[in-house]
Amino acid sequence: MSSQEFTIDQADLNKLTEKDKAELRQFFSNEEHRSRIQSQSHELTAICWKKCITSTIKSGQLDKNEQTCLSNCVDRFMDANLATIKHLRNMRQQ
Amino acid sequence: MDSEAVKKEIIRQALQATNTTNARILIENINEKCFERCVPKPGSSLSSSEQTCLTQCMEKYMQAWNQVNATYIRRIQQEMANNSFSSSS
Repeated sequence: MSSQEFTIDQADLNKLTEKDKAELRQFFSNEEHRSRIQSQSHELTAICWKKCITSTIKSGQLDKNEQTCLSNCVDRFMDANLATIKHLRNMRQQ
Repeated sequence: MDSEAVKKEIIRQALQATNTTNARILIENINEKCFERCVPKPGSSLSSSEQTCLTQCMEKYMQAWNQVNATYIRRIQQEMANNSFSSSS
């Protein structure tokens, strides 16, 4: 998370019950997951924008072809990703 | 502040920080991609057609982000169900 200053101090943290601490741990674990997905979505959008939005921009709406292209782009990127992982696994076993 | 209030404040600030970062990255990417697309040869000022292009490009980029995000989440859920990410399979 960013460098934003928290106004909560140690005395406040000491007030947290074990139950609330556990809840916060769960919250941060979920947030970390959500953050990772969002950050990957930023990268994927940049990559797929380059591949799929190639014609002159004439409207603020995605057309049907662009929508299909974006979905395919994400799915094929994941296929490629998984193929790499699979190949690395095979190399390690040899 | 009691425990409940401290917890709520921590959550509020954390969410705000994540959302600010997320918005900042999205805006940076929109600026980069749409400037590249809409202002190929920068002149002495932004023309009205360049401004229209920038507005439409921004709306389009946000739609693209939403669609990519939805497709990505669907795919991750699918792969998790198939156990594709586990290192032992």
